[in-house]
Amino acid sequence: MHVVVCIKAVPGSTEVKMDPETHTIVRDGREAVINPFDASALELALELADARRAAGEDCSVTVVSMGIPATERILRDACARGATDALLLSDRAFAGADTLATCHALACGIRALPAADLILCGKMAVDGDTAQIGPELAGAFDLPCVTDVSELVGTGDESIVVRCGSDEGPVAVEAPLPCVLTVAKEAAQLRMPSIAGVRAAEDAPVAVRGAEDVGADPARIGLSGSPTQVVHCFVPDRSGAVRLFDGSAEEQAAALAGIIEEVRS
Amino acid sequence: MALIKPLSENYDEYRRDESRAQGDAETISFPTSEDEVRALLRELHASHTPVTAQGARTGLAAGAVPTGGHVMNLSRMNAYLGLRRSSDGRFFLRAQPGVVLSELRKHLRARALPARDWDSESLAAAQELAQAPEQIFPTDPTETSACLGGMAACNASGARSYAYGPMRPHVSGLRVALANGDMVALRRGELGAHGRTLELATESGRLITLDLPTYVMPQTKNASGYFVEDNMDAIDLFIGSDGTLGVITELELELMPAPAVTWGVSCFFTTEAAAVAFTQAARPALGLATAFEYFDAAALNILRTQRENSTAFSALPAIDPKAACCIFVELAGASEAELLAELCRLGELLEQTGGSEKATWVARTDVDREAQRFFRHAVPESVNMLIDERRRTDPIITKLGSDMSVPDDRLADVMELYRSSLAEAGLESAAWGHIGNNHLHVNVLPRNAQDYARGKELFESWAARVTAMGGAVSAEHGVGKLKRSFLAVMYGEDHVREMARVKLALDPYGQLGRGNLFDPAYLEGGA
Repeated sequence: MHVVVCIKAVPGSTEVKMDPETHTIVRDGREAVINPFDASALELALELADARRAAGEDCSVTVVSMGIPATERILRDACARGATDALLLSDRAFAGADTLATCHALACGIRALPAADLILCGKMAVDGDTAQIGPELAGAFDLPCVTDVSELVGTGDESIVVRCGSDEGPVAVEAPLPCVLTVAKEAAQLRMPSIAGVRAAEDAPVAVRGAEDVGADPARIGLSGSPTQVVHCFVPDRSGAVRLFDGSAEEQAAALAGIIEEVRS
Repeated sequence: MALIKPLSENYDEYRRDESRAQGDAETISFPTSEDEVRALLRELHASHTPVTAQGARTGLAAGAVPTGGHVMNLSRMNAYLGLRRSSDGRFFLRAQPGVVLSELRKHLRARALPARDWDSESLAAAQELAQAPEQIFPTDPTETSACLGGMAACNASGARSYAYGPMRPHVSGLRVALANGDMVALRRGELGAHGRTLELATESGRLITLDLPTYVMPQTKNASGYFVEDNMDAIDLFIGSDGTLGVITELELELMPAPAVTWGVSCFFTTEAAAVAFTQAARPALGLATAFEYFDAAALNILRTQRENSTAFSALPAIDPKAACCIFVELAGASEAELLAELCRLGELLEQTGGSEKATWVARTDVDREAQRFFRHAVPESVNMLIDERRRTDPIITKLGSDMSVPDDRLADVMELYRSSLAEAGLESAAWGHIGNNHLHVNVLPRNAQDYARGKELFESWAARVTAMGGAVSAEHGVGKLKRSFLAVMYGEDHVREMARVKLALDPYGQLGRGNLFDPAYLEGGA
């Protein structure tokens, strides 16, 4: 079985720096961490691999990311935790991608790997919050997709059973393999690497491929391949003030109503 | 005096501290300045009223639990007073005793200290601090809600004392109010004893000559009784004196640059003997280790149960069923490459001593470090919950935790002592703590009053055995009220009398910290 896990490097702090010129998030890689939802997806993949191997089957887990060269550190860390292979899609031509262009790059990278039986993504990324990559990948490969997976109930040779969120609450879903799952944070807690894992990951080959290497269509990647237009981006002003009211209850209520009107206008 | 209030029901919590011991007092005050402390002491001195100084009441030896008289709670004396930078680039912070450790850490991480009313020299140093590499105060007791005055009063330690020592060497200055309100200003390196005689001048010009005790302190981690050695620095007598010599009104702390990279490694073993063998091999070999913390089989089982049964602990990482004990090693260094080399050395040592590189957790990210911190802190927290639960059925049951240390070459012996005597007494227990300093907290978990009594007897017997090994009866919590009988075992009655004489020379009516270190009988009759 071959499981592919898509990973995104996100800022490690909630204090995100914005570029005042381009109005985009500054991603210098120094403080980047694995997107927490992707961490849960990786753990589900590793647990699945453990179970398959315990049953005497082969199971490999490949982590894939599109990002700047520094993202290799996060992929190597995923290998230290148990991923068997890693692919970094890194090319200036990928820069400025929205989710659709990112999806095209990831799909090209995944096609360059041995055929995937299961593709896992985090439900969403904590920096963009779009939750689009998983369903878009399912579309690219014409596979079924189950979103918001909170538990892996069981797998067979032909299908997988998961618990996921729905408008009616949690439901169990059986999906045929191959398929795409997007994973909720509560699904699993990513294991820590062992010393043996850290040692092995230092020597693990992290394949780095550019747009041409994976046969990406130049018109469908990067800023030019992104239909999303960011018109304006800004850091909201969160200034606050305290006003104390005097007078009777009626007078204070009137003063409060005045402030509400002031804010609404 | 308006500052002195009756200790009514509203102030009930100030009768207790984290040791769960319960005391009583007639009055309480919350001074906010040194002048108020002095005024209070002058008034209470006139009536010879006992005074128990309190900080955050996080101590585990009941040092802050009152035995009558007055409670002086210093938690509202929590201002940052100033900062200076020495010519060699070190930072020294002056603060009031009620500053809480977690707050200090938060400000240091942000490189911004509350600088209200600071003089120009301090403001200039604060600007330099903002540009300098991040600074830390390295003393790291588990309880970060402890306050600086209390930490100095018991010479607090914690996990990182393996590398950085206890609080003592990081305190460069103290201002101490004596029982009569007279002030003593102490700066490290400025006043030393001549042999075992110390001449101390107060700010009012009074000269006090102290004949220091004649005992030789054990060469281990030690917070038992007064620090004394030939030609000692005067400041060291007050650090770790358990609130018996004076009230700390101001501290100056030496800061140090934070390590660039810190990793945590949890190493699991299938036998306790392998964990001991690893510790003995790793101590001389790992130069970048800042902590070695142990968790025994019972501690791991408590965590396994909590993880299964309590949602509050469900985020604990799963522990391999084969793991019988764990040692957490913290590594700190200048670069990831340096730590990687040290991690590989650590792995080799594990393989050589009966552990396994595979049976480890390496925390190199904030998320993993937080998981490890949660794991380590969940042990004492869970034991406290267990004891509280049992206490409901029998109120006499309370926490019984040891705090003894021995020299390096007696680690295996003391582990054997704990294991064999606990088994013989048929007591339930869980042990964890600072194995790098041969300093474990063995906690007896009494199921009933008989267990509690047997546990107390056992600790008395350990005090004698640990002393015979060249160890200390209290390594970090201080003696307080709960361990004073151990202090008599460790040093003998004559030396305890010598300590009491030092106290009475500074506090002639034995007002301060009454019941701490000595039985009040030693102070009867006053100076």
